[in-house]
Amino acid sequence: MSKSNGFQYFVPVLAGKVVRAAAKIRGGGSAFPGYVTTSLAPNFLRDVTGQFRYGIVYVLGSNGKSTTTHMLTEVLRGHGLRVFTNPSGANLPQGIASSILAESTVFGRLDADIGVLEVDEAFALEFARTVPPSTVLILNTQVDQLYRFYETERVADMMLDTAQQASKHIVTNREDPYLSKIARRYADGDATSGPDISYFGASDAVIAGSPHGLFNATDYRDAGIEAGQHVALAELTDTDRAGATIAVRGEPVDVVLPAKGLHYAIDAAAALATAAIILGDDFSAASASAAFAAMKPAYGRGELLAFGNEMVEFVMFKNAASLQLNLDALPEPPAQVLFAIDEGTPDISWIYDIDFSALDHVDVITGAKAWQIALCLELNGVRIGTVEPDLKTAIDLMRAMPKPASGMKTWIVNYEIMMLARKQIGFLELENQR
Amino acid sequence: MSPDSVPVTLLQLYPEELGVAGDRGNVLALKSRLEHAGVEVTVVEHRIGDSLPTDVDLVLVGNGPLSAMRNVYDDLFSIGDHLRAYRSIDVPLFAYGSGAELLGHSIALPDGSTLDGLGILPFRAERVTERAVGYISVDTPFGRIVGFEDNASRWILDPEAKPLGILEVGSGNSAGSVEGVLDAGAIGTQLGGPALPLNPLLTDALIGFVAARRGFDYRPSDVNATVDRYATLAREVILANAKHVFSRI
Ligand SMILES: [Zn+2]
Repeated sequence: MSKSNGFQYFVPVLAGKVVRAAAKIRGGGSAFPGYVTTSLAPNFLRDVTGQFRYGIVYVLGSNGKSTTTHMLTEVLRGHGLRVFTNPSGANLPQGIASSILAESTVFGRLDADIGVLEVDEAFALEFARTVPPSTVLILNTQVDQLYRFYETERVADMMLDTAQQASKHIVTNREDPYLSKIARRYADGDATSGPDISYFGASDAVIAGSPHGLFNATDYRDAGIEAGQHVALAELTDTDRAGATIAVRGEPVDVVLPAKGLHYAIDAAAALATAAIILGDDFSAASASAAFAAMKPAYGRGELLAFGNEMVEFVMFKNAASLQLNLDALPEPPAQVLFAIDEGTPDISWIYDIDFSALDHVDVITGAKAWQIALCLELNGVRIGTVEPDLKTAIDLMRAMPKPASGMKTWIVNYEIMMLARKQIGFLELENQR
Repeated sequence: MSPDSVPVTLLQLYPEELGVAGDRGNVLALKSRLEHAGVEVTVVEHRIGDSLPTDVDLVLVGNGPLSAMRNVYDDLFSIGDHLRAYRSIDVPLFAYGSGAELLGHSIALPDGSTLDGLGILPFRAERVTERAVGYISVDTPFGRIVGFEDNASRWILDPEAKPLGILEVGSGNSAGSVEGVLDAGAIGTQLGGPALPLNPLLTDALIGFVAARRGFDYRPSDVNATVDRYATLAREVILANAKHVFSRI
């Protein structure tokens, strides 16, 4: 907190809030108010967030940012902290600025003990100059968004460089070939401090039990370098349909997971490791467990929605890793399946790298990529019911099918289709709140 | 019809390192069509340190990041003479993305350095800053092929070399309005998607090269009808949506 009185922010913050109110009336949020405030008062964000007792946590990664940010936020709240967090998916700098603005007083105050921010990896390093992180959590590096980054190691480097901006703690994935090498950037290795380095991970048995492992990207650049033995502050030791057991500093914490799937269990370990290093002796296994038990599933991540007299189980994916790990988490081939991808996922060539043996059939394939999916499934010998590119008609086809014994229909969808499908079946609220 | 009961051998180079863009789908499409035509297929995956089979009917290599290219580099050069020998007896080749670039003359990298290629395909590549991302359509001697391109490369063909086709939509080689390189039975391309499942006519052309060399008749089977229908409809949607510019940053 640099300057004592907040009057310098009165005009810019008010200007931002006015623009924000106007944007809301027009419908929908906007990053523009954040731009208005930051351009009128460039130090505003730094000063507001600099007031937080526990500083700012960045959550970075190829996959699981929203889920983990949500988990960490709830665990910290479960310990009595007031947590500021950005709306799910609003992870670009202007969007984050906009949400900080929305919760600040006109004098540049925001009553919170800590900020937990999901940050887009491409902008994180630049954003760290404006809002310096005290803690950086990096989840994973997956072969993902090649259309955005081309080289997987470029994404890994962006995240590792950002992690080094943390003033206090780096928390990262012991099982990720790129991320687990971060200690090599410091002379003292894992013993380094300012920032210190902590790991989350999974036991050998858990990894061995997963049909396709963790699906993290292979590090070809430093392939010759041994991964090294790191102690995990939080280690996933067991996971089943209902939840997981995660050893935090050796003490088992039982968590209920908002969705099934190994990646969600690892995200939970990431959230617990981060909470434990930030809270120190104040970390309580019981409070953490209780927070997970009370947590609502995030949008589309194993969420069950009413669909007539049946339920729809949403299985949402954004890349090969999340689709494969979601398929691996299916306890048996689902009785009624809709599978959909639209142009929100521009390049789907990676679907040929997926093992579809967890599905014995798909009832309806839909979305703009429907014929491409059908082609891949047909070549892979997965039985196909109907291909119907129009989502609304496809949903009607699913509705017309007899109620399955489980009472549940499984919709495997990308993010954009998930949002559209929710609207179609009458769930209109926006994904925002954590 | 059947190639005197000796199976057709498909050789895929570095399926992990140079196989990040669904390259497995190209192998799958070839295998499926050959088997439907009653031809037995053996797929050999070549990994670092493996020795190569003597009799190969088609060589495939796919796409991967620069780090993966560097990783396979020494092994690739150690099998270079084998690969050249295959080409000298007209074994067809299908190479996509950076795998194709390693088979060209050279790759100029953004840091100013140059990576030598094997010189099997008649072009050189330059990595550029501008990325080409989106749907692509190309008019080739085998017919129109469509797919998805995602690269930051310019391909400069040798003076005598022929492109795979004329560009209709997309960036292709980013040099001239052409895409890829076609050298007798060898194809290098930046058209992904992957290319062969989406474009059965290109798959059939490659199988045609194999059949001609092995001396058997190849006629696509009726069993392919469902796959062909899905491919046709997928291509129609791609062409209709090809105007979409994917500009996510
Ligand atoms: Zn069914």
